[in-house]
Formats: sequence, C-alpha cells, structure tokens
Amino acid sequence: MTLLLFGLFFLFMLLGVPIAFAIGASTLYALHQSGVPLMVVTQQMFQGINSFALVAIPMFILAGDLMAQGKVSEKLVSFADSLVGFMRGGLSVVSVMAGMFFAAISGSGAATTAAVGSSLVPELKRKGYDPASAASLIAASGTIGVVIPPSVPMIIYAVIAQQSVSKLFLNGFLPGLAMGLGLMAIAIAQAYKRQYPKGTPLSLATIWATFKDASWGLMTPVIILGGIFSGIFTPSEAAVVAVNYAMLVSLFVYRDLTLPQVYKLLIRSAMTTAVIMLVIAMSAVLSWTLSSWQVPGAIAQAVLSLSTNPYVIMLLIVGIILLTGVFIETASALIILTPVLLPLVLQLGIDPIHFGLIIVVGLSIGMITPPVAINLYVASSITQLPLERITRAIIPYMLGLIGVLLLVVYVPIMLGWSGN
Amino acid sequence: MTTTTQPLLKLLRRIERGLDAIIQPVVFAGMAALIGVITLQIVSRVLFTAVGWTEEVARFLLVWITFLAGTLAFQRGRHIAVTFVVDALPSRLRQFARIAALLIVLAFMITLIVIGYRYMQVQSFQKSASLRLSMTYVYAVMPICAAIMAWYALVDIIELLLGDETTHAQEKPL
Repeated sequence: MTLLLFGLFFLFMLLGVPIAFAIGASTLYALHQSGVPLMVVTQQMFQGINSFALVAIPMFILAGDLMAQGKVSEKLVSFADSLVGFMRGGLSVVSVMAGMFFAAISGSGAATTAAVGSSLVPELKRKGYDPASAASLIAASGTIGVVIPPSVPMIIYAVIAQQSVSKLFLNGFLPGLAMGLGLMAIAIAQAYKRQYPKGTPLSLATIWATFKDASWGLMTPVIILGGIFSGIFTPSEAAVVAVNYAMLVSLFVYRDLTLPQVYKLLIRSAMTTAVIMLVIAMSAVLSWTLSSWQVPGAIAQAVLSLSTNPYVIMLLIVGIILLTGVFIETASALIILTPVLLPLVLQLGIDPIHFGLIIVVGLSIGMITPPVAINLYVASSITQLPLERITRAIIPYMLGLIGVLLLVVYVPIMLGWSGN
Repeated sequence: MTTTTQPLLKLLRRIERGLDAIIQPVVFAGMAALIGVITLQIVSRVLFTAVGWTEEVARFLLVWITFLAGTLAFQRGRHIAVTFVVDALPSRLRQFARIAALLIVLAFMITLIVIGYRYMQVQSFQKSASLRLSMTYVYAVMPICAAIMAWYALVDIIELLLGDETTHAQEKPL
C-alpha cells in the first residue's frame, strides 16, 4: 500500500499535477483502497492548517513584499555600501551584506533576491562586474533569507515537528552569518582574480548619513526579533506588527506605495500563502496515513540497520535533503521530508532544533540548484541573463554554501548560543 | 478552431473571470481582517485585558484564505508543480500529459466536494470553542472551493481538447 501511494505520487507529480494535489490525490486513493473512511482526509486537512502559529506565514510574506516594493531595500543597499563598499570587489560584498540585512526583514529567499537584485544590478553593471557572476551571487545571498529570522520554512518546520518557532529563529542567526561570511570570502577572492575596482573610500560621515536613511528599514528586525525574544509578542503577533509597521513606513514615511498597490499586494501574498498552506494541508493527511501504517518507523529501522554511526547517517540525510531540494521547491520539500526524517533523526539522539536548522539550510541551497531553483529564476528575470550562464557562475557559491551546511551539521558550536 | 466552439469558450472564460473577480475582494477582506484581529489582540492585551476570541477567529480566517486564495492561484497556474519533465516532452505527448494531469485534479476536486460536504453535515451541530460559531461556516469553504477549482480544471480540459493554446497566456499580473 505504501508503494502504491508513493508510486502514484511520483507519477502524478511527473505528469505536472500541482504537488499539493498530487499528494492529496495519491493519499486519498491509497486510503480508499485500504478501506479507511475518507472522513479522515477532511479532518486531517483542517487540523493541518487550523493553527495559530501558521498565521505568521501570510504576515511575514506580506511584510517582506511591502518592504521589497519600496525604497526600504534601496536604503539598505546604500547603508551596506557605505560599510563594505570600499573593498576590492566591494559591490559583491555589498550584495551579500544587503541580502543579510533584508533576510532579517523577510522570511523568503525569492523576496530577498528580488529586493537586493533590483536595487543593485544596474550599479553592478555600470561598474563593470561580470553580470552572470554578480547575478549568481545575489541569488546565492537570497538563500540567507530563510536562514536569518524571520523565516517561513522555520515556521513550517516548527509546526510540523512541534518545536518552538522562537527557538529556531534564535538559532538561525549563526548559520545565516556563516553563510554570509562564506559567500563574502569567495566573492573577495574572485574580485582579486578579476581585478575588480575598489569602491568609494570608507567615511564615517557617509556611514552615519546612510544609516539614518536606512533606519526605518533597520528598525523592522529590531521590532520583530526584539518583540519575539523578549517575550512581548508571539511570532505570529510579531509578524502582524511588522505588517502594520511596513504599511505605515511605505504609506506615510517613504510614500512609495499607493492604496491600490496595497490591495494587490495583500491578494498576492494571500496567493503565495495559499500555495504553501495547501501543501501543508494535504501533507497532514499523508503523514497521518504514513504514521498509521508505521512507515517512518520502518524507514528509521531500515536506515539504522545499515549503520548506527550518526556521522555516516547524517551525511546520508544531508544527501537526501540536497537531492530533494534540486527537484522540489523548498517549502514542499520541507513539508514532505520532515515527518519522514524526524523519527530517524530523533533515534540518533539529534536535537530537533538542530535538525530544523540542518534541513532549512540544506533546502535553502535547493533555491539555487536547477531545474527547480526559484532564486535563479528571480535573478535571471531581473538581469535578463539566460539561466544557463547564471547557473554556471553559481557553482563556487553553491560549494561554499554546502561547506557551511556541513559545518552546521557537524559543529555543535552553532547551537552554543541558546541554552540548548 | 471552428467558429461554433468560439462562443462557448468565450462564455466559459467569462464565467471563470467573473468568479475570480468576486473572490479577489473576499480574499482581500480576509487578509485585512486577519491583520485587524491580531492587532486588536495585541493592543487589547497590552493596554486592557486580553480578548479571548481573537486566536480562534484568526485561525478560521487563515483556513478560509487558504482555500479561497488557493482558487485564485489555481486560476493563474501558480501552484507549485514539477514542470520540467512535461516541458521536455514532444508537443503531442505534452498535450496528452496536460490533459491527464487536469483529469487527475478534476477527479480529486470532485471527491473533495463530496467528502467535504459530508464532513460539513456531520459536524454541523458542533460549535467553535470560544465564539460558539457553528462549524458549518468554517468547513463550508472546502466543498465550495473544490467546486470552483473543479470548474476551472474542466474549462482548461475543454480548452485543451479544442486545441486552443492562447488561453494559457491570460495570466494576470497580480
């Protein structure tokens, strides 16, 4: 019965049935065949999405969209430029740093890529940077968007694995920082090889001026993260505070948004949310079915019979995560993999928060590995460069990010911070 | 395409666009209400005493937004799908795969209408925990939206069978 279910799922998926419905239809058919009353499908679907923690998803998506639209991202880029632009290949470093700033506002990789890309690409072209390499660096920096909090995938993982969203957020900083530093190091090495120009010299006056300009944007993470970690808001409430704040800033301070645009943005982020939420709803039925057939336990047993060395098994799991990320979009991959892998990981004695970081960082790399690579598509549409050229240029950055992933897996210092 | 099928297609598309135009403001209202309700929850807790019903309303709004905005995303072909396999097929086979995929979606949606409606009836005496709202209103969204998506899938199948390729370019910039 499990084989029938997975067989149908892959068949439907390869035929191009949307992943949510491919999961739903194959599970429903398998349940029907095994004589389970189908009422359980409806029940599990509602239970899967009827959660207050998930309310944070539409709100963080909306807050990110509101900020990406307007001048906020431009000002963040100028501030990053004043800090690190003086180095050789400074603009490359700026694009990573701006990506990290925006990651602290937005919870999605595509939004981060779009925000940084649209404000930096013209400048990069003017200064004679290799366009494909610049575009790929921006796409690679976009992956940090889901690692530095807030993060939509972390919220999804927390709900599925029944962990605390705040704890995951808190532990996202160090891996996000490591990803940023790794990308910067590679970018600087390339800048020396290609003899990129130095940027504007470092000046305290410019730093102060651009900091003041960017302060409306920089306040957002202070409000969101400060509110969550001090315990004033739940993550869902913090997301709504961020939405209110982003609306006030763009409507009254920068005045770069009109009310009709806000109307459209609300509907657009509702659609982005619905796409993710329907996958969550359908997968709730799938994981109920699998656990009632005791499949995750059986998988765990099978893997543990191969080897009980946690280092070896974690390497295998990392391989599975990376491979899944190549072919399946981040949120869907996360929703499908978590219920299957988590029981195995828990048997190895690995902390579920630690595993959350591993799976989120691992799948974020999937955002830059074609054929399914949202950040590359965004970067390609901003720069008008063909996907193949950006893909070739991204290889060094991708290897760097995989290095960071292995660090997250094997170096426990990543967690030292939160009292885990 | 023959001239006799042209008016039929036009009518089908007009119904589709009409449905979509009705749902958009509803989704907007849902999102606005979600922001409003949680803002109220924060303000009331900080300044006055906590209101008990806001979390429940927020959860139900999320359920409604999920399904309703799900129909908008479906109409625009925005649901995540693995397309690189189908795209690599020769055009006749691709046409065949598309129709097969839509038939699967259609069958799934029809099943959801039936089991969703039955579930709604079974649960109709149940009331929500804090607002004492009849759960019928919450569960109704699933058969309704499954019916809308079934309709969209059916129209898409008819369009593909009539061999009209232009219709997939109608994606609106929302």
